[in-house]
Amino acid sequence: MVFDIFLGDLPKLLRMPFFQMALIGGCLISLICSTMGLFIVLRKESMIGDSVAHTAFGGIALGLLIGTDPIFTAMIISILALLGISYMRSKGIAESDSAMAVMLAGGFSLGLIIISIAGGFNVAIMDYLFGSILTITREDMILISVLGIAVFIVVMLLYKELLAITFDERASRMNGIPVSGISVVFNILMGITIVLSIKVVGIILVVALIVIPALTALQLEQSFRNTIIYSMTFGLLSMVIGIVISGVMDVAAAGVIVFTGILMFLMVTSYKRLKKA
Amino acid sequence: MISDKCTADTILKVNDLDVYRGNSKVIQEANFSIHRGDYVGIIGPNGGGKTTLLLSILGEIEHEKGSIELFGQNTGNFTQWDKVAYIPQNAIEFDDYFPLSVKELVSLGRVRRSNLFRRLNSKDFDKVNEAMDFMGISDLAHRRIGQLSGGQKQRAFVAKALVRDPEILFLDEPISGMDFETQEKFYMTLSNLNRHKKLTILVVSHDLTVVFCRMSRVICVNRKVHDSEIRPDLDPNDFLQKAYGDHFHFVFHSHSCHGDFNGV
Repeated sequence: MVFDIFLGDLPKLLRMPFFQMALIGGCLISLICSTMGLFIVLRKESMIGDSVAHTAFGGIALGLLIGTDPIFTAMIISILALLGISYMRSKGIAESDSAMAVMLAGGFSLGLIIISIAGGFNVAIMDYLFGSILTITREDMILISVLGIAVFIVVMLLYKELLAITFDERASRMNGIPVSGISVVFNILMGITIVLSIKVVGIILVVALIVIPALTALQLEQSFRNTIIYSMTFGLLSMVIGIVISGVMDVAAAGVIVFTGILMFLMVTSYKRLKKA
Repeated sequence: MISDKCTADTILKVNDLDVYRGNSKVIQEANFSIHRGDYVGIIGPNGGGKTTLLLSILGEIEHEKGSIELFGQNTGNFTQWDKVAYIPQNAIEFDDYFPLSVKELVSLGRVRRSNLFRRLNSKDFDKVNEAMDFMGISDLAHRRIGQLSGGQKQRAFVAKALVRDPEILFLDEPISGMDFETQEKFYMTLSNLNRHKKLTILVVSHDLTVVFCRMSRVICVNRKVHDSEIRPDLDPNDFLQKAYGDHFHFVFHSHSCHGDFNGV
């Protein structure tokens, strides 16, 4: 009975194009978030997702103001912010945490100014703050697919270099790996990943999509290859479970997706603790 | 090991080298040459400039005056860095929770500019397996590096350096802080590398006994740089007093030279 009520709408939902698009788009995004996220967590820059997503707010407002797709302006601003953070760190202007704070503040305050100049575009802005995966359009879907697959392919092509640089940047430089070039590429991929994630869970929860699957996978203490596979698995699982529950029960998708991730993290950590004890 | 200096192939030549860090002169008028097949101990007091000397040879620190030639080429426009391997002082002080197996770590040594965007191939993995074999860590291949002991970590890092097929290997205090047996075993492996793979090795060490018993050449760095071939007629005390000053007296450990590692 309870089962029926719970899953009653699911077969119907699965036939709806909007729900199919949400699932496919969400899965693609969770795939790139959980791979990029592992590198980010290991670089001890978990909050970069949060910082840059907030910076992107400025870009979104700018896009809405000048009437282009806010995704593009947000991407440009995000990539600039990431390059700015790298630059500040490499030139010794600021450590990455304070550089992230500066970018967050700069982008978000710019957004506030633009919104009040424009007299406010409240509804649209809410979608970007809290996510709107269940309302993505066909155009969004094409954009997400093209960019998501592109990011995934580039990460896989640069897999061993990214691992080498993440483990030991200096040794990688000395071994002749083009570290600076790859860092620029990584920042661009990261900017795209963050902005696509804003579509799914909104600015405030982007950091969760990037950090939680990787952190959950890290609890299992595996090789790098296995860890990245686990990270993708956890990311996909919480995305699918989250979207399905959200569709069936009509609660905010972003909330359910991220909270599912958190529950998985708690389960894996407690399992690890119990096994050790 | 190097018996005939005239025909020996010089692979590192340092001329009149001055290196500053900040405003202080750390290396002054260093002059020495290293030949192919040398096994060189770099000794000297803490803060004497050993690491600075290594880093300036590797082109990581600019030098004020003089020149450094690797394989006959000035390091300023040296291009064959793949012939050079370096294991820094704190290599094994990585994050123990980093998810990396021993095999993955050693494989990272095969990541280089020329195979960008490509996966490692079977030749790469042959090298990886061979290096792990040589360093005696094959049975640890699937362990996480964080679970290894200090000595095992160090072996894994040497294996990572070896997969690049270097012709010269620099190690900065590789086994400081490890127990005697681990150290002995480690230096034995280095001797084997030097003999059987004809690898030129420069190692910063505090263990004077190991240096004078096992190695073919000694460099003492104490701002000024003294070097000497280690021959049976070289009195370590004479050499060290030249470098450290007259008050220095060299005490052999209880385990003074007992043959070489060939028979072990």
